[in-house]
Amino acid sequence: MSNAIVESGATVRHGAEEGGPGENGREQLSMQQALNRALDEVLAESPKTLVFGEDCGRLGGVFRITDGLQAKYGETRVFDTPLAESGILGMAVGLAMAGFQPIPEVQFDGFAYPAINQIVCQIGRMNYRSRGTLPMPITLRVPSFGGIRAPEHHGESLEALFAHVPGLKVVSPSNPHEAYHLLKYAATRPDPVIFMEPKSRYWQKDGVDVSHGGSPTGAKVMRPGRHLTLVAWGAMVGRCLQVADLAAEDGVDVEVLDLRWLKPIDAETLATSVRKTRRAVVVHEAPLTSGLGAEVAQLITQGCFDTLKAPVERVTGFDVPYPSGDLEDEYIPNIDRILNGIQRVLEYRRG
Amino acid sequence: MAEISFPLPDLGEGLIEATVLEWLVSEGQQVERNQPLVEVETSKSAVELPSPQAGKVVRTFGRPGDRINVGEPLIVFEVPDDTAGIVGTVPKDEAPKRRVRLSAVLDED
Repeated sequence: MSNAIVESGATVRHGAEEGGPGENGREQLSMQQALNRALDEVLAESPKTLVFGEDCGRLGGVFRITDGLQAKYGETRVFDTPLAESGILGMAVGLAMAGFQPIPEVQFDGFAYPAINQIVCQIGRMNYRSRGTLPMPITLRVPSFGGIRAPEHHGESLEALFAHVPGLKVVSPSNPHEAYHLLKYAATRPDPVIFMEPKSRYWQKDGVDVSHGGSPTGAKVMRPGRHLTLVAWGAMVGRCLQVADLAAEDGVDVEVLDLRWLKPIDAETLATSVRKTRRAVVVHEAPLTSGLGAEVAQLITQGCFDTLKAPVERVTGFDVPYPSGDLEDEYIPNIDRILNGIQRVLEYRRG
Repeated sequence: MAEISFPLPDLGEGLIEATVLEWLVSEGQQVERNQPLVEVETSKSAVELPSPQAGKVVRTFGRPGDRINVGEPLIVFEVPDDTAGIVGTVPKDEAPKRRVRLSAVLDED
């Protein structure tokens, strides 16, 4: 782990479990509502927390994630910024230096590009550069990935870009329960976290247990299986769970592993799963070449080389710019492409 | 449900206010996008303002004769949470469809 990381990636803390309102049972919330509640509670718990970005204040965000927060916490803690992402992230750096815990938002993932200099050269390495005197407890919320038929720059898949930067942590929730607990956890970390929200999953409701989040670090088995492990994150986890149901109709028992943290990747849970199933397919929306699937495949190969039955298969987007709405269904891995990937692994024979 | 407020826009170059002449919709009414909401008079002309979106009218601001400044609230809509986003559409949760079938001899060697 790089010197730039204040907190070791191996550290498991259960802080997120302590902050809940103490209700029992699961509530039905959308991811938008879960994220909104998480931000509300983080703002209430820590007076040093600030939420800001384009339309985050008065409007409540284009996805309504910050809805009502400015009215509740005031314009000094939840506020609108100019349309200038380098300024939003540059301000986050200065606020972090001054002891605040900024939770900035870039409105869409494609708008993160103008702020890459601030993210890579300042947020990622200020702690390292200052020999630990200027940690960057910034949680950058990035509505991410495709699936909502938006125009260009409104759907990207930047996890490999962020995961490659030393000093950054990257996480993506796959459902409302994960969103609530992972955001509360990320927002209270001493290190910068890129929080990639799957914008196509904002509105579906699912059970959230606010008082029992489970471990907020590492990967998570979302469905156990015996024959093959599907590895995914963000919006692709839901699709892989659908695929697992369909594969079961054909007698193939698929395990679905939600990677959750894309930096650091939980190599141990990955290896534990694939040592059991002996076959793996990794699914992501980003282009194939130098995508995070390559990293996952290598970690599996390293951990399971002696027992793997087939090379790790990747089912991904294509090496083209993320297409606008009309071509999305052709680009994003669909059920049949994932099933084909599974079939290729099942058919593989050595020698 | 989410509430979305629509402030009085600038109706001409640099106009700063408008006078309400007549509301064409009432509170509680469901309106469609582009449906005329209100007739207002500026120092240049009287115009009907079309609705920027579909939704249920929660509140209207200003009675006939009242002046509203540009940027002040004109009307508040209530919309379902899943249509409250501004860019893109909400994906439908459909039953998964497949064409590919798996066939494998899962020999456990």
